[in-house]
Amino acid sequence: MKRVLTVTLVLALFASLLAGCGTENRDGQGRKTTLNLFTWEGMFPQEVLDEFTAETGVTINYSNFDFNETMLTKLQAAKGGDYDLVIADDYIIETVIAEGLAQKLDRSKIKNFGNINPIYQGQFYDPHDEYTVPYGAGVQTIVFDPKAVKIDITGYADLWDESLRNNIGIIANYRVINGMALKVLGESYNTEDIDVINAAGKKLLELAPNIRIIKDDNLQDDLLSGEIAVAVMYTSQVTMAKMANPDLKVVFPKEGIGFGIMAMFIPKNAPNPDAAHQFIDFILRPEVSARCFEWLGYYCTNKAADELIEPEYKEFLTLPPEFTSAGMEMIQSVGAEAEEAHARVWTEFKAACGQ
Amino acid sequence: MNAGETRTRRRRGTRAASLAVAPLYAFALLFVVGPLVYMVILSFLRRAETWGVVRELTLENYAHILEPVYLKTFYESLKLASLTTLLVALLGYPFGYFMARLSRRWKQRVMLLLMIPFWTSSLIRLYGWIIVFRANGVLDRLLMALGVVQAPLKLLYTYTAVVAGMVYALVPFMIFSVYSSAEKLDWQLVEAARDLGATSFQAFLTISFRLTMPGLLSGVVLTFIPSMGLFFIADLLGGNKVVLVGNLIQEQLMKARNWPFAAALSVVLMILTSLMIGLYRRVSGVKDLEGLV
Repeated sequence: MKRVLTVTLVLALFASLLAGCGTENRDGQGRKTTLNLFTWEGMFPQEVLDEFTAETGVTINYSNFDFNETMLTKLQAAKGGDYDLVIADDYIIETVIAEGLAQKLDRSKIKNFGNINPIYQGQFYDPHDEYTVPYGAGVQTIVFDPKAVKIDITGYADLWDESLRNNIGIIANYRVINGMALKVLGESYNTEDIDVINAAGKKLLELAPNIRIIKDDNLQDDLLSGEIAVAVMYTSQVTMAKMANPDLKVVFPKEGIGFGIMAMFIPKNAPNPDAAHQFIDFILRPEVSARCFEWLGYYCTNKAADELIEPEYKEFLTLPPEFTSAGMEMIQSVGAEAEEAHARVWTEFKAACGQ
Repeated sequence: MNAGETRTRRRRGTRAASLAVAPLYAFALLFVVGPLVYMVILSFLRRAETWGVVRELTLENYAHILEPVYLKTFYESLKLASLTTLLVALLGYPFGYFMARLSRRWKQRVMLLLMIPFWTSSLIRLYGWIIVFRANGVLDRLLMALGVVQAPLKLLYTYTAVVAGMVYALVPFMIFSVYSSAEKLDWQLVEAARDLGATSFQAFLTISFRLTMPGLLSGVVLTFIPSMGLFFIADLLGGNKVVLVGNLIQEQLMKARNWPFAAALSVVLMILTSLMIGLYRRVSGVKDLEGLV
């Protein structure tokens, strides 16, 4: 009996090996086609990658980087080769394009291009959408626990309310936080006017008594444990907080919304640009997109996928239908002098929070 | 064997010895002096518009430090370091002193208990403190059960929490250095003082305390220097609201990408710390710091 079982198992193993060979896709010369994907770890659910391979026969060679800057260095060293598709943040893509390390997309190969939400198109890093297709978007919101807050929060200005004393947690990203004060003053995130930045700093000092925590990692835990009632945090943290406690409220600040985009581009000398186009088109399918964004926890940039996102995720993964791009602004790099003013204002603010 | 031969052999011996220590010198040059020189040079350069530095000499970065915002971080660091050192000395000195008087067996046991926490990363141990301090955490529940307080105290993310974390992280260093000093103490001297009519307190002050001074002072140095630089405790337990020089350097380096300014801050911090150590030695008159310098 035991022997029969062993023989069967061995045969099954061989059969699966042979089957594996059968599905392997080869190009005209009999070479295997692969897609060299270069991005952060864990950007796609494994099933989606497997489906792509099963459908097209293109195997995916996934390599990661931790920082945008590392990606740029490697891409520069490879002279725009080695990788077929890269996903990185907006500001670094601006540099990649300026350095001539990206190639223009062939729209005829991307049938689903029209699915992209136009709100996320035509941004500073690629004004004519020639090089990139947006993937996940980070949208700056305010999250609060309605049970622990007496006022209704609709915008950044409400954070200055006295009833929120020592009850707010914020991320340690000074462009975002100084930006809140800039927005309350009706200014742009990207102003290089030192007087305006200083005015925002003065405004921030009034917010200091309400701040209890400033930190980048796991701020959602403090909101969930009741340590704080209001949080301004990263999109992925908002998603985690909402998953754990659906009663939390997510607000699009009425003063304006800051956002960032991670986008896909094909390097100049990509070994297999066809596979990259195929992959972009595959990901832009509404049903594939919806699954990716639900898994990733960033805002959906695929308009056609919005309605497929499960209702439980909708509130924090899609923009409301009536939403317009009027109040939205991306945070861009500013000059050294403005950057230093931001850093100084921020240090003053943090010290004031500790008083 | 004549004298000349011995001389050559001895010379050969020294040459072999210097060859043997050469890697050590190379290591020190490469990994200690090298980065230090690099940092000092960096502190005189100008930052580039977006990324990196421009090769252009300037004193701007040092002028920057004189701005009140940044001077204040030095004041805050000195304040926290002094307070931590004081508390560590008050807790650690008696501990180390009495530990040295235990029987051999108990000494080993206490030593083991002191060492065990070091098997865990200090970061993880700090997370332990978060569990203790957080709202409705261990401490809150204990105090409420005892009826000391009615509502949860907001202990986490306060200055007190930072000080507690600092003292916790640094007290072992004080204990070890006081202990090693007190271990060597000749207790017969204390007995002699008692025989000559000193009270036990007088005997402690004139004999034991004097003789354990090097241990105490090296403990002070071992506590003071790290507490000038430990920024993650203020981050984790203080919610980032206490801005120390360490935090500022980290932020300028990682977030503001202003490397020259971060380097200038580090240079000033190093000079300041060295001056403080010099001052301790001058004031205390102790030339020999237990196991240090």
